[in-house]
Amino acid sequence: MKIAISLLLLLTSYSVKGQNVDANALVQRVVNKINTVKDYSVSAYIHANIPLIKIMPVNASIYFKQKDKFKVVSKGIAILPKQGFTDVNTFLTKKGSYMSVWGGNKTIQNVNTSLVSVIPTGETSEIILAKLWIDPKRDIILRSQVTTRSSGTVTVDYTYGSEVAYGLPSKLVFTIDVKKFKMPKSVAADLNKTDNQKKKTANKDQKGTITIKLTNYKVNKGISDNVFKEK
Amino acid sequence: MLLKNTYNEFIKILAKPRSYLGIGALTLLVLIILFAMKADGKSFISFVTASFEQTLSFNGNILNGNLIAFIILQMLIVHIPLLVSLVTGDLISGEAAMGTIRMLATKPISRTQIVLSKFIAGAVYTLVLTIWLGFLALIVGKWIFGTGDLIVLNSDGLVILKEQDILWRYGLSFGVAYLALLTISTLSICLSAFAENSIGPIVSTMAIIILFTIIGSLDVSVFDSIKPFLFTTHMASWRSFFEDPVPWSTIRDSVVILLAHNVVLVLIAMYKFNKKDITS
Repeated sequence: MKIAISLLLLLTSYSVKGQNVDANALVQRVVNKINTVKDYSVSAYIHANIPLIKIMPVNASIYFKQKDKFKVVSKGIAILPKQGFTDVNTFLTKKGSYMSVWGGNKTIQNVNTSLVSVIPTGETSEIILAKLWIDPKRDIILRSQVTTRSSGTVTVDYTYGSEVAYGLPSKLVFTIDVKKFKMPKSVAADLNKTDNQKKKTANKDQKGTITIKLTNYKVNKGISDNVFKEK
Repeated sequence: MLLKNTYNEFIKILAKPRSYLGIGALTLLVLIILFAMKADGKSFISFVTASFEQTLSFNGNILNGNLIAFIILQMLIVHIPLLVSLVTGDLISGEAAMGTIRMLATKPISRTQIVLSKFIAGAVYTLVLTIWLGFLALIVGKWIFGTGDLIVLNSDGLVILKEQDILWRYGLSFGVAYLALLTISTLSICLSAFAENSIGPIVSTMAIIILFTIIGSLDVSVFDSIKPFLFTTHMASWRSFFEDPVPWSTIRDSVVILLAHNVVLVLIAMYKFNKKDITS
């Protein structure tokens, strides 16, 4: 009997260890792909559909340079999620600061993906947990769900186009938690509206989406640091 | 004769130092706000967007001339009635206090036309004040802060309006704001017809505005039936042009109520002035 239990534990631990190795290797392959991009600029069409915010779609230019230089330039006001654009990639490139655990398979966009949970090893990391649904054949992330200390949970769905070889998406759909939004009463005083009317219109929905379509990528063409300076 | 008398009335307004006091105070207030926004406008903006900024980042020139004009309008539209009534509240009662009203009545012009000419002169002064506010807020604001999309905070949430979709909204909102200020002007002239001194109509106008504003802001059902008919309820209607979609029916109702107030107050003033004993 003892021999049977020992054998079972051995097999289980081997199995878990084997999956961990797979998860780490898978994440490493994704990181390797991310690291091939030193810089890029891209045109973005940003459409935000967020409760309590009314905004028309905006065209913008996005600039990125390794390691973590990132800038959005738009003529008008553009709304982007605070977390989730480059944070996952930046976090993943910090080797040794997290551990990866395989969590099963799931079909996303008709692709069989591997779910990998990435947990930071440090206690001060802004990211608490990142779940990545990775296409193991192309080494790209198809969905991420990142939970941070300050911004709650942000889910991102990735669609890829011509720049799939660099792991750069052509479309991103961010789903963000908006239940924490509260309107400051002192600055939002509408004399014509009673408190009852205000209550009816507040916090109807809990989720918001921001869709970003990315076109005209210029990858590894070199971008001056001056682009990222605040004006 | 009406036009000639209106011209004379406007000359009288120009001759009074208090007329320039209003414009001077308005200029000073706007300059102070512009300076404050230039010095520390970003912290003001972050106060407005604070509840969103944990999750979202706002990119682009938020602190621009369009937003500055909106902030100035919002801050000052409450205080400008005092500057308006300071001048218009004196138009009839000032003549009574100085004794010039008898001389005015000897002119070959009816008392109704005298009152009308004073209303028109008061309306022109209010228009000058509104245009000056618009110039300082919008033109000077854009000159200092540049232009861009307008971010407006309503109780329903944030509305972000495209730069090219803003100017017509400002044009119409200044029009409705003018109508609201014209109601103040008409009210103070109407009260002026009842008084024999200058200070009474000015103080009474402000007291009525404060009283109506308090009634309007009290969330008590007993006042619900009268709130829609108080002119103070509609004084902030200019703000509705910055909603998306624009609540046209609400604005139309506000314009009708304000116009009705103007007509009724003018008629009351005419009746009172026609019956006024100016011989004793």
